[in-house]
Amino acid sequence: MDELQLIKGIQQGDRKSFQQLVEKYRQLVMNTCFGIVHNRNDAEDLTQDVFLEVFRTAENFRGESQLSTWLYRIATNRSLNFIRNNKRKGFFQSIEEAFAGGRNRSKEISNYQADQPDQKITGQQRKEMLHQAIDKLPEKQRVAFILNKYEELPYQQIAEIMEISLASVESLIHRAKKNLQNQLYECYKKKCI
Amino acid sequence: MDCKTIHKDLIFYLDNELPNERRIIVQKHLDRCTECREFLALLQSEMQIFSDEKNPEVSPFFYTRLSARLEERQEYQPQNQWVRLVQPVIFMLILVIGIYGGLQLGSNASNSTTNQPATRSIQMLDDFEAEPIESFLLEKL
Repeated sequence: MDELQLIKGIQQGDRKSFQQLVEKYRQLVMNTCFGIVHNRNDAEDLTQDVFLEVFRTAENFRGESQLSTWLYRIATNRSLNFIRNNKRKGFFQSIEEAFAGGRNRSKEISNYQADQPDQKITGQQRKEMLHQAIDKLPEKQRVAFILNKYEELPYQQIAEIMEISLASVESLIHRAKKNLQNQLYECYKKKCI
Repeated sequence: MDCKTIHKDLIFYLDNELPNERRIIVQKHLDRCTECREFLALLQSEMQIFSDEKNPEVSPFFYTRLSARLEERQEYQPQNQWVRLVQPVIFMLILVIGIYGGLQLGSNASNSTTNQPATRSIQMLDDFEAEPIESFLLEKL
């Protein structure tokens, strides 16, 4: 069954078409969500939300773009919203912690690493440092970079997903790499990785 | 070329995105600079994380969970939609009725105050005047 047939089936409420679509694209959506949120459980919940949205709004899909482009778009929007909501919650939590005399977790990690420069950091800590560096990138740079790195998408498809020009994608990815490199270099100088 | 300039190019060097001339310059620098080589190795190991993290495992019960959520949603949806449509209408009706009732009460109250002098002007029925007590007593006799 091709993409259009699947979508037509879903538009008519056919569960088998929906299941086929989920089986075919769940890894793609999961990859994208994971690249942005860096947590497997959150990424899986978001992947489910994406497919629920697909089922709910299938009638809006006109077939003007590829189905995967539409899925990438929903997945990135959902994941970015999830992060924005988490940041908002985190902001209020940090206020609460400030009043309760607590400390920020990320600061704890970097302080811990700066305090013990000789200690070899684990793979998990290395991952966390990379994730933190990615999270510091501006949203558009982050999305373009993640679609390119995790999904290995060509710049043209990234441009279609983000609804921007090809030149903008090139510029975004170039700046994302520079920013990421600068952050990692800062860490390298401080011996935190 | 100094290390600072080379550092800026290393990520592009790793991704084979440097022009050939530039690539040769970086390569030559790397051959003699230990610090830059170290940073390159670090960048390489960090970039390797992207490959390691690709295709995270999806739970085997993914579709079962999704299907359950879909059914849950479909069960709730008609009710939710109905409630979502009817609730504001009911609230609006109550509000309009309340405002209308309030206006009516208000206008009645203002009417009653304006009518007060008129009611005052109505003469109270005076039983004694209509039927003096003397005539009443005489009738009884």
